[in-house]
Amino acid sequence: MNFQKTRSFLIDLLVFLLGLMSLLAPFLFHGARFPGFSQSAFPIMVSLIILLCLTIIIFEAQSSLMDNKMIALLGVLIAINAGLRFLENAIPGPAGFSPIFFLIILVGYCFNGRVGFLMGAMTMLVSALITGGVGPWLPGQMITAGWLGQSSSALHRLVTDLGWKDKRREILILAGFSAVWGILYGFIMNLWFWPFLAASPGLGWSQSASLAENFQGYLAYYLATSVVWDVTRAIGNLIIFTFMARPVIKILNRFILRFTFEYQEVIQR
Amino acid sequence: MKNSKAWIIWLIAMMALILSNRNPIYLLILLLGLLILGSKLASKKGQKSWLSQNLRFLGTMFVLSGIINTLFTHRGNSVIFTLPDTWILIGGKITLESLVYGVINGLVIGSLYIVFNIFNLALTVKQITGLIPKIFQPIAITISIALTFFPSVQQRAREIKEAQLIRGNQMKRIVDWLPLLAPLLITSLENAFSLSESMTSRGYYSRTKSLSGLHITLPFIIATFLVFSGWILRLYNYPSMISYVLYFISSSIIILSILLANRKIKITHYHEEDWGTYDIVLSPVFLGIILVWAALQTSGALPSVSYSPYPDLRLPGIQFSGIIICASSLLPVMFTDK
Repeated sequence: MNFQKTRSFLIDLLVFLLGLMSLLAPFLFHGARFPGFSQSAFPIMVSLIILLCLTIIIFEAQSSLMDNKMIALLGVLIAINAGLRFLENAIPGPAGFSPIFFLIILVGYCFNGRVGFLMGAMTMLVSALITGGVGPWLPGQMITAGWLGQSSSALHRLVTDLGWKDKRREILILAGFSAVWGILYGFIMNLWFWPFLAASPGLGWSQSASLAENFQGYLAYYLATSVVWDVTRAIGNLIIFTFMARPVIKILNRFILRFTFEYQEVIQR
Repeated sequence: MKNSKAWIIWLIAMMALILSNRNPIYLLILLLGLLILGSKLASKKGQKSWLSQNLRFLGTMFVLSGIINTLFTHRGNSVIFTLPDTWILIGGKITLESLVYGVINGLVIGSLYIVFNIFNLALTVKQITGLIPKIFQPIAITISIALTFFPSVQQRAREIKEAQLIRGNQMKRIVDWLPLLAPLLITSLENAFSLSESMTSRGYYSRTKSLSGLHITLPFIIATFLVFSGWILRLYNYPSMISYVLYFISSSIIILSILLANRKIKITHYHEEDWGTYDIVLSPVFLGIILVWAALQTSGALPSVSYSPYPDLRLPGIQFSGIIICASSLLPVMFTDK
């Protein structure tokens, strides 16, 4: 691994840990007293830290866009994906199903983690700009969708190492991966607001409870509020990947070569 | 108020007032001001159903938040009825205090939603994207391309769908959408290629305008760590002054590093935003509100904001300063350009 790659990896890891620790604060920081103000400000503080983490990753990831072709490619792919979000009601799928995960995963899978991250994060931003959905929930949506795209490139390495490329197993593992993320997305997205909305015993966060008890409380909250929605999204992802992933991977692979060549300066003697 | 930066200051002030407030009377005053402001902005944009839509949303929010908290939180002394203990999670006493607590939660969430709804109404997409710092120039270009291409992608999707319907594809199952997605993807990517060629031939080359990562990454990592530390110290009830100092250092690092990095990037700006009279007047007013609110909170001079219905329901206290500050949400209504 060269210096640049090590540096990028360390920055990504550090920022990932900071983001994750802020999301998991209610579990990790046992004994925190959450005085009135801190509890009310919890969602905004988590959003602020995530926004700062996002800024760092996006600044680092934009080095992947130091080329006009990649800028144009990503811009157009984001436009298509934001458009797919509007087709949510048109495409027949279960409630909670959203086709936007499809392209985010496949772009991360076919290109690289950084492009996948940008695809996820920017899709959320652009569709929020179009729908007027800019709000404190946006940084969380952006970073989670970014992680989804970034993790897809790791799946690509795994599939290549296992020799499953262009085999049926490739699609099966992608479909499984998309189903897991269908649930994980909702599971992560609930974390930033949970201690605020449910700061009470039962399904909420409690300062005197142990990590296991608080996790149990979160699970109860998740089961009560989101699980049906997320499971249907997972099923939708599973179906869309099973039937549509192969041809779309072929299309993206066809364009990769056209979009990744570099101009060389001609030295005249 | 028209300037995007003035609206950002307003947004921060409103968020501070909402998130550090548990007094339902103050929150209602603030929400009323926001609804009047939102209605005025929406009527300017011809969105006649804005108020009724948002009132419906707020009603749903109060009911849902109230029900969820009442069912799952069994605190408080005014018992309405009791559910059998054998009922998982919801078993136990159902109290009036939990219902009120849930409705206050709904008020906070609803107000927060309305604040961002107004922010989206007040600013154009161009103004919001204009807020992206110059150092994120490749990202800003990517977002602009996505926003510009979005209508044409939608149009092409409609055309392909119509062509498929004419050919007998009923588009009823998910699989039927592949003949829409595949041509949409191919034609759009072909367009992207032409666009990149066009950008290159017009002299756009982002590499020359990029910065080395450490100008921004390192200060931002330090700033994030400082905010995180300040927050954690606050969670453990350490003196709030330590956290505020850390937040101040962190924001100074962020602002300075962005300003310094921005100076190295030369970009031509068309249509620079103007600062109108109302922007110039109201921005310091809202900055002042943030500072006064923070001072009142830290000094403990405004105890009425931290209202809790537990363990016995009582009426929330009211202070004149609290009412005046919360009523400031109405200010942009009085100072909006015709």
